Amino acid sequence: MRASEQALVVRDLRKRYPKVEALKGVSIALPKGEIWGLLGPNGSGKSTLLKCVAGLLQPDGGEIEVLGLPPSREAKAEIAFVPEVDTLYRWMTVRQVLDFTAAFYQDWQEETAGELLEFMRLDPEAKVSSLSKGMRARLKLILALARTAPLILLDEPFSGIDPSSRDRIVEGIIRQFKGEEQTMIISTHAVGDTEQLFDAVVFLDEGTINLQGNAEDLRTRWGKSINDLFKEVFA
Amino acid sequence: MKRFLKLVLKDLEGSRLPTLFLSGITLVFMAFVRYKVSFGSWHSQMSVLAVALPTAFFPLWLIWRSFQTLRSEWREDTVYTLLALPVPGWQVMLAKLVSLCVEYSVLFAVTVGGTSLFFGGLLDELWSMVSSLSWVVWNGFWVYAAGLAVYSSLIIYIQLAFVVSKMVGKVQGLVALWVWVLASWLADKAAVLLAPLFRWLPTLRLHEFLRLNELDSGIVFEWHPAGQIGLVLATVAFFFLTGYLFEHYVEINE
Repeated sequence: MRASEQALVVRDLRKRYPKVEALKGVSIALPKGEIWGLLGPNGSGKSTLLKCVAGLLQPDGGEIEVLGLPPSREAKAEIAFVPEVDTLYRWMTVRQVLDFTAAFYQDWQEETAGELLEFMRLDPEAKVSSLSKGMRARLKLILALARTAPLILLDEPFSGIDPSSRDRIVEGIIRQFKGEEQTMIISTHAVGDTEQLFDAVVFLDEGTINLQGNAEDLRTRWGKSINDLFKEVFA
Repeated sequence: MKRFLKLVLKDLEGSRLPTLFLSGITLVFMAFVRYKVSFGSWHSQMSVLAVALPTAFFPLWLIWRSFQTLRSEWREDTVYTLLALPVPGWQVMLAKLVSLCVEYSVLFAVTVGGTSLFFGGLLDELWSMVSSLSWVVWNGFWVYAAGLAVYSSLIIYIQLAFVVSKMVGKVQGLVALWVWVLASWLADKAAVLLAPLFRWLPTLRLHEFLRLNELDSGIVFEWHPAGQIGLVLATVAFFFLTGYLFEHYVEINE
């Protein structure tokens, strides 16, 4: 792994779908050790940006560097990506999902996975198909947090989830995030309950960045919470 | 290796239920025909039906499964998991190929096993034609191996067609069909072009290798592999091309 001051650098990133330009020259630089909120309404390009970083979409232009690495197999090993959709094999048990994931990542922490399983109140023998949406979201989060991946990307982790699961997820993130070694991006359009997590935020709208900066600085400068700022920007 | 094995086990586990189900249905069907024949309801020639039906159906089933194992990854969004893994695309494809070959082997074993179990006694006439059990095992194995080779190449073409179709947003079915036809045409051309390079290879006297003279001393079955080597090389190239395209060019956007 190459040494890099930044966990993630995105320069002039462009991505076009047949009917819409999802990203119109997005540039961000994320220092190591912070949790960033990627905020914006549905269709603003949040998921597209995260998928490009995770190597699941090929940008039409611009550059991406993950810890100094271009998108590659090597970079994928450094990223823990949790997409919004259910990506779990439904016939697997919770234990099988963990074992499957563990086999592919050298940074997998078996002990942490066990602790998180208990904390998230999941039965290791339960089949994924029998889990509720909230439980599946918690399981997906374990797959990311049980690793010491330098870059964690969570795409709408709170979408359509009951409040108790949401609280568990927020608490899980706070407990497990290793500030010195890790950087996290959480995309969401539900800012209220998650504002406390963010060190910095990026407001994305129709593929362009409206506003970005340190969360505390923005609160001081605008005299309002990030949630209120979000409502104002996207009103 | 551990990663690859995990992928194979995942695909095997995913195909366990359909394979067990089809194996069970086949054995029940064979037992039913045997029961009817034993009690005189059906003529003994109906035994052939019990073997012919699964034998005719299995290839279609296996082609469907080759397509289905990939399709289900997209349909159930698990392709996100596969694409995010730090493994080469060819390993993902090879794992699917291996698990499908295991499926083929199980169905082959069920057909052979079921036939021996339920119709062994009724096939005395057939047994009397062959000289020994070792002859049957030897030739049975090569029938299995030849079927496996043909099926493996079919899987590779299906994988290529499917993966390329996922690289376009529209008319995916048409694109898959077109890629299939184009790849087959290219492989055929490669076979023709490369054949002269392998003319030096000896002609294989398969009637000796397969001990066909034990059936009839007049049987001659010879094969020169030169014409097929280009086909094999093209198929292997298509396999790695599929892996490369899967890893680098397939996108997912729900």
